[in-house]
Amino acid sequence: MTDPDARPQSGSGLGPATGPETSPETGPARGGGPAYPLSWRLLDAIEGLAALWPARASGAVKWALLAPALALVALLLWGLGVMADASLREMDFRTYRLSEDWSLANYARALGSGAFWATARRSLLAAAVVTIICLALAFPYAYAMTRTRSARLRKLLLVGLFLPFFIGQVVRAYGWLIVLGQEGLANEALGALGLGPWRMLFQYPTVLFGLVQYMLPFAVLMLAPALAAIPEEVERAAESCGASWPRALLHVVIPMALPGLIAAALVVATLTLTDFATPAILGGGTNDFLANLVYDQFFRTSDAGLGSAITLLLTLAGTTVAGVLLAAAGVAALGVRGAR
Amino acid sequence: MRGGWLHWTVAALAAAFLAAPSLVVLGASFTAGNIVAFPPEGFSLRWYGQVLSSTALRGAFLRSLEVAAVCTAVAIPAGTLAAVALARWRFRRATAIQLYLLLPFTVPLIGSGIGLMLLFGELRLLGAVWPVGLAACVINLPFMIWAVAASVNGLDPELERAAANCGAGPAQTFLLVTLPAVAPGVVAGALLMFILALNEFLVSLLLVDARTVTLPVHVYNSIRAVITPDLAAVSSIFVLAAAAAIWALDRLVGLDIFLKAK
Repeated sequence: MTDPDARPQSGSGLGPATGPETSPETGPARGGGPAYPLSWRLLDAIEGLAALWPARASGAVKWALLAPALALVALLLWGLGVMADASLREMDFRTYRLSEDWSLANYARALGSGAFWATARRSLLAAAVVTIICLALAFPYAYAMTRTRSARLRKLLLVGLFLPFFIGQVVRAYGWLIVLGQEGLANEALGALGLGPWRMLFQYPTVLFGLVQYMLPFAVLMLAPALAAIPEEVERAAESCGASWPRALLHVVIPMALPGLIAAALVVATLTLTDFATPAILGGGTNDFLANLVYDQFFRTSDAGLGSAITLLLTLAGTTVAGVLLAAAGVAALGVRGAR
Repeated sequence: MRGGWLHWTVAALAAAFLAAPSLVVLGASFTAGNIVAFPPEGFSLRWYGQVLSSTALRGAFLRSLEVAAVCTAVAIPAGTLAAVALARWRFRRATAIQLYLLLPFTVPLIGSGIGLMLLFGELRLLGAVWPVGLAACVINLPFMIWAVAASVNGLDPELERAAANCGAGPAQTFLLVTLPAVAPGVVAGALLMFILALNEFLVSLLLVDARTVTLPVHVYNSIRAVITPDLAAVSSIFVLAAAAAIWALDRLVGLDIFLKAK
């Protein structure tokens, strides 16, 4: 991917020899003359600055390089800390201020409320159903993408994967609103068959439908590297030993792709469990998931304490699942997760 | 071709299913009628004209661009340096560091969003646009690190040693050998960050107020009220941006990279 001979010869970098470990005598003549261009002087200056870094602290260089990224993620942790603090304080609805002292009252209220459990059940059921359907669709897709001999078909399938991924959830849900509306394409087609019209929007199955479409690219991207790693010869070997293609699939390919399948399942399940936009847009307020419940706590009832408590519970659930995934797949998963 | 017909049929259906909303939005945006419909009634560009003349939409679009620009500008140095450091130096707690840097992916978006909302609220940063970009950068940072790390792993360390051997100091080696070699990864990562920040919805929704809505939040607020075809025209902008990003990614690193096993 990197073109190894693209740069080093391009040269000026090898000209001015003034590294701290190089003695000045071995370098070209310094100081002045048009033979010593400005860019070299600039580099010398940078090198001089770099040399100012105390040699004793050379071990700190790597940490200095890492620091900005560490700081950015620290913002996230800081935010979670603020949230944990808020979750332990009760909202006083006379003053709209959080209480001074800590208690577990918000957690007790959340876990004791029927609305919380109804919403949790709805989200969990969705996570299970969407995961199963997504895997059933993602496997053939990923298999076709990795096994096809046509480079053009592979590219087409890849573009089909990335286009929705890059379009965002709101626009995609909007597309479904147009198709599934009372006068939409789906009801027109049903009408032509003498059926309907059906009220499809703002129903639970429609939310699941939208979620499957949203999660499918994640599932395929998690699964494809696992399938690509299985040599086709293995399959052919099974077939030459007399296994039919479905048997080879069942007994050879699927067991070998199991880590990829599990990773895809966990990612889809967590993303579904914590989703906000699809239930909000396609569910029309009557099919809320936990994230929508959280949003309402903050923006409808202004109960930052209770909202924080529910968010923390949800975050804990999601992070545990993701942590299991990482522990199982090893941190090498950074690449695989990154392809999400 | 290997595989039963059922298998290929399911794959084709899944592909159609994935493409459907984008195609519908594109098609509906060209309608000549007053209500959003697919297939569109007639053909006109009037809704695109409407979009261009709407100050609310233009403002939201510009703010989204600002969010994406801030996110990318922060992510490029932070992600590139981190990826180079992780690939080139040995850290005693390398696993712990990687797990830490993956937190933006393991913490659900609603958790990150609410946490940052409370934090920015305490720091009195809510109401400005750039914190939204910063938040988008935090939640997508692993993408940037991952893209650059893929490039650094492909760079032969011998090249850097050769440069040092020829007399280049560490700063020169880094600026003139390492950075140019990882440039495709940096550009690919930057592209990912930009397009994801442009589309970023949930965290934006939590961090903006009525004066600072970004484009996805504007679309969301509007479809909860009345669905008019100008939204389809706006959405087509997202489809086009996505298509451009995919084309560029394919040219830069090749989409096949996502099929490679680690």
